[in-house]
Amino acid sequence: MTTLRSHRRRYFTILLLLSGFGVVLSRLVMLQVLQAAELTVKADRQHQRIVSLEGMRGAILDRHGTMLAMNVEVPSVYGVPTALDSPARVARALAPILHVRSEELERKLSQPRAFVWLARKLDPETGRQVERLASMEGIGIKMEGRRFYPKGPLLSHVLGFAGLDGEGLEGIERRYDEELRGEKRTIVLQQDAKGRTVFPKGLWEETVAAPGHQLVLTVDEVIQYIVEKELDEAVMRTRAKSGTAIMLDPSTGAVLALAVSPRFNPNSRAGFKPEQWRNRAVTDAYEPGSTMKAIIAAAAIEEGVMTPQTLIYGEQGRMTVANTVIHDHERFGWMSFAQVIWKSSNVGAAKVGMALGEERLYRYLRAFGFGERTEIDLPGETAGLFKPPRDWGKRTIASLAMGQEIGVTAIQMVSAVAAIANGGMLMKPYVVSEIRDGQGRILKRMLPTAKRRVIAPETARTVTAILEGVVTDGTGSKAAINGFRVAGKTGTAQKIDPRTRTYSTSKFVSSFVGYVPAEDPKLAMIVVIDEPTGETWGGVVAAPVFRRVGEQVLKYWGVPSHEPVQMAMAIRE
Amino acid sequence: MRVLVVFGLCLALVFVWERVDIVRLGYHIERLKTEKARLERDRDHLRMQVSALTAPDRIAKVATEQLGMVVPRAGQVVMVEVRPASAPAHRTLPGEIRIARHDVNDAEGKHE
Repeated sequence: MTTLRSHRRRYFTILLLLSGFGVVLSRLVMLQVLQAAELTVKADRQHQRIVSLEGMRGAILDRHGTMLAMNVEVPSVYGVPTALDSPARVARALAPILHVRSEELERKLSQPRAFVWLARKLDPETGRQVERLASMEGIGIKMEGRRFYPKGPLLSHVLGFAGLDGEGLEGIERRYDEELRGEKRTIVLQQDAKGRTVFPKGLWEETVAAPGHQLVLTVDEVIQYIVEKELDEAVMRTRAKSGTAIMLDPSTGAVLALAVSPRFNPNSRAGFKPEQWRNRAVTDAYEPGSTMKAIIAAAAIEEGVMTPQTLIYGEQGRMTVANTVIHDHERFGWMSFAQVIWKSSNVGAAKVGMALGEERLYRYLRAFGFGERTEIDLPGETAGLFKPPRDWGKRTIASLAMGQEIGVTAIQMVSAVAAIANGGMLMKPYVVSEIRDGQGRILKRMLPTAKRRVIAPETARTVTAILEGVVTDGTGSKAAINGFRVAGKTGTAQKIDPRTRTYSTSKFVSSFVGYVPAEDPKLAMIVVIDEPTGETWGGVVAAPVFRRVGEQVLKYWGVPSHEPVQMAMAIRE
Repeated sequence: MRVLVVFGLCLALVFVWERVDIVRLGYHIERLKTEKARLERDRDHLRMQVSALTAPDRIAKVATEQLGMVVPRAGQVVMVEVRPASAPAHRTLPGEIRIARHDVNDAEGKHE
């Protein structure tokens, strides 16, 4: 009897245990097999965090490595409205720090949403104050890269700017956006119950996105400053509409400085209109006027149509061409060809143009790069306006010879004159000299590119001698730099009045283009002043800018002048 | 048999210790990474400040308005081309620039 009871108890215990195991087993099958996929997803959602990484946008440096544009991590503030008890209280606390009206913050924080941006990419100073908010309930801080231009307005028209999301919108930022952008990728991080990151798949998973490439420019910060300062001063002094200046290294085509006045600050673009950040040096075409005579002179000498001594009659300052009258600013009689250029005689230039003829004139102007883009690495470049001979009128040859009926950009004109300076080779202008990776290793080096030979070296020397005469004996005397030989040409072009479609008698484009030292040019530069008031002659308005910039830049480079002894004696006296 | 059990236990302990240590090191590396990011951020801010402070227009402003410097007039800076063989030691070399200082006591505003 006792044995039977004992057996029953044993079987009951076994049954109980088996049932228990059965329950556990069935639960295990349910969790591990039937609901496995669903539960894995839930667990992953708790343990894993998907993070979007974006590498820093690459920096832009000048030719000596000075920082011109860079990204800095700054805080952006967001709110989690669903986690807030009192949006009004939080809004009141945040408003003075973020410099936003508390009503606006309260409206944002009262929305039935789990995430809302309150302020993005704050400046570093505000950022430091905001970091104290990190512990505030329902408020979070995310670090984001913000573009800064530490030099303010310096070189603003070349650099352009990047948008809030780091995309290049203007200038170099736009042209080289692909190179500057950092790598974008998404990674999965494993986190613990406290939200701390535990290593994901192995120790060596890279959790940083590669930064964008760095750009090294051909521009020199100091020269750029000198050019901008002098150009701004000239624009202000003459109360002009705007001004443009470009300096090239004539032997390579490298842009040493490019300035447009008035300038804008890419750090705070609010208040500036798009037309103020347009890079007029490449986007705007203008009628160059007499600066074109330098190119006509080169063509005429290369073709053997003229020598510097060839005599030309100035028609006493008036000549009728195709029922229109061409005027000179003086009543010139007989002049040598060199004097035609020195004195900037329109009648003389028109006669030279006619001697060259339609075909040669067109061929040389095209060869010097007019009517085609220079292919400078800046966005928005125009080819200018240069009609083919089939569209020319009876006066076109004469007009072209004095820089009318043609639209050129400042970069085209300075490139063409740089070709005379360097002995006859048209170089492609360029602004970026190197592309480097995030660690500073050179990935690509841009070499000077010769587009074509336009005149022979001997012709270039002859034209240089004539253009030196413009500065020593002609209209460009205010471009003269003590102790240096300067070659150049002035230009004063009437603008077309859009109302009457005729040449205005009050609106001019005054310019000077030249190079120095003439015997071994280190720099070629154009200065264009749009609509100066008062004195409007290029020789009076633009040439002094060339002189002042030239003096300072040659001093900065330490180029010795031709008159050191006399100058030293002057100091002793 | 007993030795095997002890060995197995030891192995299991080593395994567990290793896993725990990996997680501990992971936290440590994460902290260091956060610190590195903060230091890099500070470095970038300082770089930006250096770049802003060395802007030529700021230097020119400080030089002229605070230090009383003036842009040298013609003749005050002489660039002399020195030929290496015959160059006397005291001559000014190309690239050397002498800065003229504004004389604040000069009522006429004349500069030396």
